[in-house]
Amino acid sequence: MTSPHEGPQEAPIVPPEPGTIADTFREVLRDIEFTATQGVGDVILIIARDDVPRVLRAAKDNPRLDLKYLRCLLGVDHMDGGLEVVYQLYSFTRRHGVTIKTRLPLDDSRVASAASIWKGADWLERETAEMFGITFEGHPNPVPLLLPEDMTDHHPLRKDNPFAQVEEWQGLRLGDEASKVGHIPAGYESIAGEGGEEDGG
Amino acid sequence: MATELDRELETLDINVNVGPQHPATHGVFRMVLTVSGEKVVDAVPHIGYMHRGAEKLSEGVDYRQGLIFQDRTEYLAQFNAEMCYCQAIERLGGIEVPERAEYIRVILAELNRITSHYMFAGAFATDLGVYGTAFTYAFREREYIQAIFEAVTGDRMMYGYFRPGGVVWDVTDDFKDRVRWVCKQTRVGIDDIDRLLTKNEVFLTRSLDIGCISKDDAIDYGLSGPMLRASGLQFDLRRDEPYSIYDRFEFEIPTGTRGDVYDRYLVRMEEMRQSARIVEQAIEQMPDGPIMPEKAPRRLRLPPGEIYMRTENPRGEYGIYLVSKGGEKPYRLKIRSACLSNLTALKQMVVGHYVADAVVILGSVDIVLGEVDR
Amino acid sequence: MAIEEAESGQQLAVPPALTSVEREAELLRHVEMEHPHALYREVLPGIIQAPADYLLAMARKSSLWPMTFGLACCAIEMMSAFMSHHDLDRFGIVPWASPRQSDVMIVAGTVTKKMAPAVKLLYEQMPNPKWVVAMGACATNGGPYTRYDRVVQGVDKLIPVDVYVPGCPPRPEALMDGFIALQEKIMRERGSIG
Repeated sequence: MTSPHEGPQEAPIVPPEPGTIADTFREVLRDIEFTATQGVGDVILIIARDDVPRVLRAAKDNPRLDLKYLRCLLGVDHMDGGLEVVYQLYSFTRRHGVTIKTRLPLDDSRVASAASIWKGADWLERETAEMFGITFEGHPNPVPLLLPEDMTDHHPLRKDNPFAQVEEWQGLRLGDEASKVGHIPAGYESIAGEGGEEDGG
Repeated sequence: MATELDRELETLDINVNVGPQHPATHGVFRMVLTVSGEKVVDAVPHIGYMHRGAEKLSEGVDYRQGLIFQDRTEYLAQFNAEMCYCQAIERLGGIEVPERAEYIRVILAELNRITSHYMFAGAFATDLGVYGTAFTYAFREREYIQAIFEAVTGDRMMYGYFRPGGVVWDVTDDFKDRVRWVCKQTRVGIDDIDRLLTKNEVFLTRSLDIGCISKDDAIDYGLSGPMLRASGLQFDLRRDEPYSIYDRFEFEIPTGTRGDVYDRYLVRMEEMRQSARIVEQAIEQMPDGPIMPEKAPRRLRLPPGEIYMRTENPRGEYGIYLVSKGGEKPYRLKIRSACLSNLTALKQMVVGHYVADAVVILGSVDIVLGEVDR
Repeated sequence: MAIEEAESGQQLAVPPALTSVEREAELLRHVEMEHPHALYREVLPGIIQAPADYLLAMARKSSLWPMTFGLACCAIEMMSAFMSHHDLDRFGIVPWASPRQSDVMIVAGTVTKKMAPAVKLLYEQMPNPKWVVAMGACATNGGPYTRYDRVVQGVDKLIPVDVYVPGCPPRPEALMDGFIALQEKIMRERGSIG
């Protein structure tokens, strides 16, 4: 069963109020194009795929941003819109956070790895890579994290990967004998039916 | 460490495989330790033995049905996971939760934090060699609290009690008295385990200065929760990014200094007392009233948008990144697992210690494999 | 004691003022000697006389040592069943970590395809006679995770299962009921294994 989305709609781009972290990013990196939108709670910055290493490095090292805490790294499959990688960052000293997103085309799903910037990105990128088929360039150890090593040919979280069919219970194949209830708990004898258990001594 | 003896003997580093089935009942986790003598030289954790696809399956069911996967992902702190899920949906959909439901949620979530930390105390003490005493004490105390959960929700473990908008039915009439009694009883239980372990000389030798991690490393690895607080950073999502009604309660945030195993244990013990304090305040303030909004829709549809909702789970920062494109089912539901991020630092903590300490360090991370693998 | 009363068909009136030892001695005096399943003899109390397969089955069922194979959430309820509130030790059930010395394997939790070879290996490492209890919905048929293609839909696809305990997770009392069912099964199968 595939998941039916009757007409998926994208959220509208709402430019954030002045004075948020989007302005700080624009001042620190003047030549990079940011599309900023105010999400529910956090500011979301959408950048191009090739700007990712510069933006993430500046996010961590620049003292005005100081986003040293990588909270979350995930991928989203937008079907024809491509794949998306989302980074959620936070700063303990400045008490501000941001969401950074970047889109990858379906036929060229590569992006630079953030494992050299935050040590915690290592495992998160391994998981995103095996779930979506994204290649993180420069990753020190790109082996599957959660999936078994011999089952990495198809990526589970892609939308074209279907759910499994429910296989039949083996008991059904063994015939009527096996599907009889063997043990009736005390007080439930009325459901025993004919051919209940024999006395076991 | 090259001693006289090492230079004369030719030694070989061997690989010791710990798991996936081993008596330290943390679940199916596998660690391959490369040891030189007794000292660990390298540690490679292998996870994924419990990867059941909660994220993928949540995309195929609607928002109310998806709650069951949250229970089973974080199976020791179920109410906290349910709270995060329901808060994510409520914030994205602009649904208001009535006051009484908020108080019930906070009380149950904090009691669940207490049971989760009891489980930690029992399992951690078993790893250290106490072999069952603290485990039995912990389970006895858990049963008292689980009896309240069973009376309110009907289930001992997988509650499925919270709903986007409130809770599904009201609590029992004797709820307030039982909760007050259990708060008093819990302090006795915490003291029992405290007296057994905290000043115990063997415990101190086995846990002081073991598995240290500095504050900067902890931030870089993405640690959270008691592990981050034990390393010296006083950050708690209930106070610093408050959700639900946590800003109405007074509680302290225990913080450690050394970042070792002993500090993590102390932080969790103190957190249990602070949770009991929150529950006592909440039960006094709890008003009467409805528990679901009046205009609860029959079919829950969320507007398109994204949200990253994070809550303070007993293990750390549990987050849900919810992408909605309209409709009744989530488009993408990513569970940010506290234990997975905490485990990334395992190699750095374990290398240089003995094999027996590796088990103790793993116990102090307090992993729940359902959350690590989802 | 009730067995002799029922099988010998006599009504025994025991005055309540006697202590338990005196009451037992009183009952012993009236036991029929020719009954094939007489459990106490007057001459040498403490001796059980029964056919050999009964004895072997009774010994096996009264001392089932499960290998702790808690995989997921059901493991917590399994641990609760072992602890003091719902004590399983009174049935002779002692959790034992090593497969080489255990009798029962309680598969508590979801079996994923990554874990499947380990499950099979552990089952083969257990010596005969051995039994398997599939605890929970996930071990029975995949449970709530059955639609994911990395999950084995039920542990009976890998190893033969003797008792299925339904529930998500089953209460400790349900697990106890599962063990009682397994004990009855062992008595029924007496003489047929080893």
